[in-house]
Amino acid sequence: MVTRSEVATDAGTAADPGWEVLARVAAGDVEAFSRLVETHQQRLLRLCERLLGDLEEARDAVQEVFLKAFRKAGDFRPQGQVYTWLYRIAVNHCLNRLRRRRLVRFTRLGAPVEPGLEEPPELDPADGAASPEDALAARRRWAATRRAIERLPANQRAVLVLVRFEGLSYREAAEALGITEGAVESRLFRAMRRLETQDSAASHVTKTGRG
Amino acid sequence: MDRSTEIELMRLLNGELPPERARELERRLGSEPELAKGYRRLRERWEGLALPPPRPVPLGFTGRVMAHVEGAAREGSTLSWSLAPTWVRAAAAAALVGGVALGAGLGLLPARHNDAPPGASAIGAIGAMGERVPLADSYWSMFEDETGGEARP
Repeated sequence: MVTRSEVATDAGTAADPGWEVLARVAAGDVEAFSRLVETHQQRLLRLCERLLGDLEEARDAVQEVFLKAFRKAGDFRPQGQVYTWLYRIAVNHCLNRLRRRRLVRFTRLGAPVEPGLEEPPELDPADGAASPEDALAARRRWAATRRAIERLPANQRAVLVLVRFEGLSYREAAEALGITEGAVESRLFRAMRRLETQDSAASHVTKTGRG
Repeated sequence: MDRSTEIELMRLLNGELPPERARELERRLGSEPELAKGYRRLRERWEGLALPPPRPVPLGFTGRVMAHVEGAAREGSTLSWSLAPTWVRAAAAAALVGGVALGAGLGLLPARHNDAPPGASAIGAIGAMGERVPLADSYWSMFEDETGGEARP
């Protein structure tokens, strides 16, 4: 997980040089855009994978997010950090994808797919665990978290991912989502309540042996 | 635990409370076992959420993105609905709806005034005019030649 200090450090200070790059892009310097891509691609890939729960879809999404950012380079207002502007584009893009995915699932009337859980990762991050038991425990925790996140409504999911896993403050999350800090608090509260309900339901199923 | 208390505790957990308010809440946590229990449960759930560390960026990803972007830049003037201003999209949608409505209206219009079978309307129109058009004349003249002029209505 990324800590808030990491976010603050690698995002730069108030005078984010990313805005200058965007100004050059808007003036027709396409090459300058690659600097922005290099600086932010890892963060956006991580965010999109966490929101979408699917690595391949996240890569496609990030490409489209950068394309949107490129096209919007002329409309930007240099306010805050470039990464929150990019986060905003990315979150909106991913939420649209999630809505479309839900619609497709509904029209197919098939069993819900939980991408990312069935697919073996290219590089298993649990390989670095101290023991096989630790690796297994870590994988189980990740799978449980992913399942829990995927059951959340899209807007609650976005807030939870931004604050818990991307290390954004409430103010930054609000900026990235285009909502108020109060709305961030409220969505976070509802997400946590929902997770509690899911936990109780899961433990009830385990205790009664159903499911 | 009520909603406002839980929101306060979440803010404490995330370092979002002003220092004075945080100290006050921490004092309460020390003296109110129920509140402390709720906070412990909330923190366990929050910290229990874990996802795998991020994977490295795939090789050549920047190049792939830039190829995509440069392709779009070359197209340059290609119009994109997703980037069009809202009023342009609204105007286009209104024009489309208007066009469909107009088309449907025009399609219904003749049917409302004409219950005759298809094709009858032209014959009726000719009859109503009370005069023979040259084409009809030439048609009937073929029969007149064979029937001695008795076929014409």
